[in-house]
Amino acid sequence: MELDLRPGVLAGIVGENGAGKSTLLKILSGELRPQRGTVRHEGTFGYCPQDVVINDALTVRQHLEFFRVARGLPDLGHAEEVMDVLRLSQHADERAGLLSGGTRQKLNLTLALMHNPRVLLLDEPYQGFDWDTYQRFWDLAARLRDAGRSVLVVSHLAYDAERLDELWRLQGGLLHPATAVPA
Amino acid sequence: MRRHLHLFVTACRFDLVEHTRNRLAMVLVALFIPSWISLAYAVIPSTTVTFRLRATGRLLAPAGNQITQITGAINAVTLITGFMMFAVTFNGGRFDRRLAMAGYPRIHLVLAKTTSLALASGAVAAYATAVICAAWSPRQPVQLAAALFCGALTYGALGVVFGSLLRREVEGMFALVMTSLVDVGLQSPLASGGTRSAAVEFLPTYGTMQAATAAGFTRTPLPGDLAVQILWFAGAALVGLFAFRRRTKDALTARPPFRLPWPPRHRQPARPARASSTTP
Repeated sequence: MELDLRPGVLAGIVGENGAGKSTLLKILSGELRPQRGTVRHEGTFGYCPQDVVINDALTVRQHLEFFRVARGLPDLGHAEEVMDVLRLSQHADERAGLLSGGTRQKLNLTLALMHNPRVLLLDEPYQGFDWDTYQRFWDLAARLRDAGRSVLVVSHLAYDAERLDELWRLQGGLLHPATAVPA
Repeated sequence: MRRHLHLFVTACRFDLVEHTRNRLAMVLVALFIPSWISLAYAVIPSTTVTFRLRATGRLLAPAGNQITQITGAINAVTLITGFMMFAVTFNGGRFDRRLAMAGYPRIHLVLAKTTSLALASGAVAAYATAVICAAWSPRQPVQLAAALFCGALTYGALGVVFGSLLRREVEGMFALVMTSLVDVGLQSPLASGGTRSAAVEFLPTYGTMQAATAAGFTRTPLPGDLAVQILWFAGAALVGLFAFRRRTKDALTARPPFRLPWPPRHRQPARPARASSTTP
């Protein structure tokens, strides 16, 4: 397969369970090594894994501080914007292990976006979100696209196709252009 | 230099936060160490036990309850640090990877984990020594604490190894308990009467057991045995380091695995796919 994710594009990949969507994103993010082929990133990227990868012993604020230092960011300005959009700010001093599933996913997503990356690789980024947060997520994704970011969202459903600039279906190890599935 | 220090201090701080929020470990430190060591002193008879200490060749005849306190303390501190490090390694593997892929230098993460292990080991070793000193007076309390410290370090590193290699939490707990059972059980003067088998010299806490026993009942310093224990720690830590490095590797920056420079004859090489993301 050949996938070129251009700037200012909000793209989606859909496919059945086990089609290899998450594996593809893990390869694109560097978690897995491809058996063949190459991955080339130009500029910073943020990867939101399908499983929530956070530390239950640390608070939301401690997570942000840990990753701020990791990424060498001078401040948490962009992270705070993302948190405001996702309504995560009110949980800043709560331990991750005590958060609800949806709030843990908000933190998972915030850690991927907090450095304002040029390329966003998001694997089922809205799982566990309530309807309002789900809508705000798509508004945020559209704003990032309008700001010239490349956003790739992987999902097992194609309900949100009208929000996407490009939609692909992963089937049999190949990417095919796809159309929306009626909700 | 300041950035390196900042990275190290930040990782240390959050490692320690994680350890202190491990409630079971904190309860074990607060209650298990004093109750187990005190019970050993109160319940085991004070009848003398005669055995030859391998490290000095001297015949020792300590009270049974005193030598049991020492073996019990080794048992307790090693299991607690082993459990603490196993828990953070087992639960935090993917989080460490995410941090490393976000740019956190792995060397700072490893140094911070080693520092927090050393601090935890120092605290439990000092605590266990103080509990023993409350019951009777070991001849060399500093060497006793140092021996417990080195043993705790070693099991902490073993906890990292088990946490990196085993798939299920229960497997790690069993591995730690079984290792400690064989390790301390075979060396215990009460059980083996100071066995003559050289096999005990290869057990994970041999250096600790020799140095701690000598510290309890002789005035002979045993730096060599402490060094043996440090070697055990270094070996276990090295295996843990390789496992950590493997788990946190970034496939985008890591070198590809070795491949022959020519294609195999029996099949056509597949056309390479290219998945790329570009931004201006």
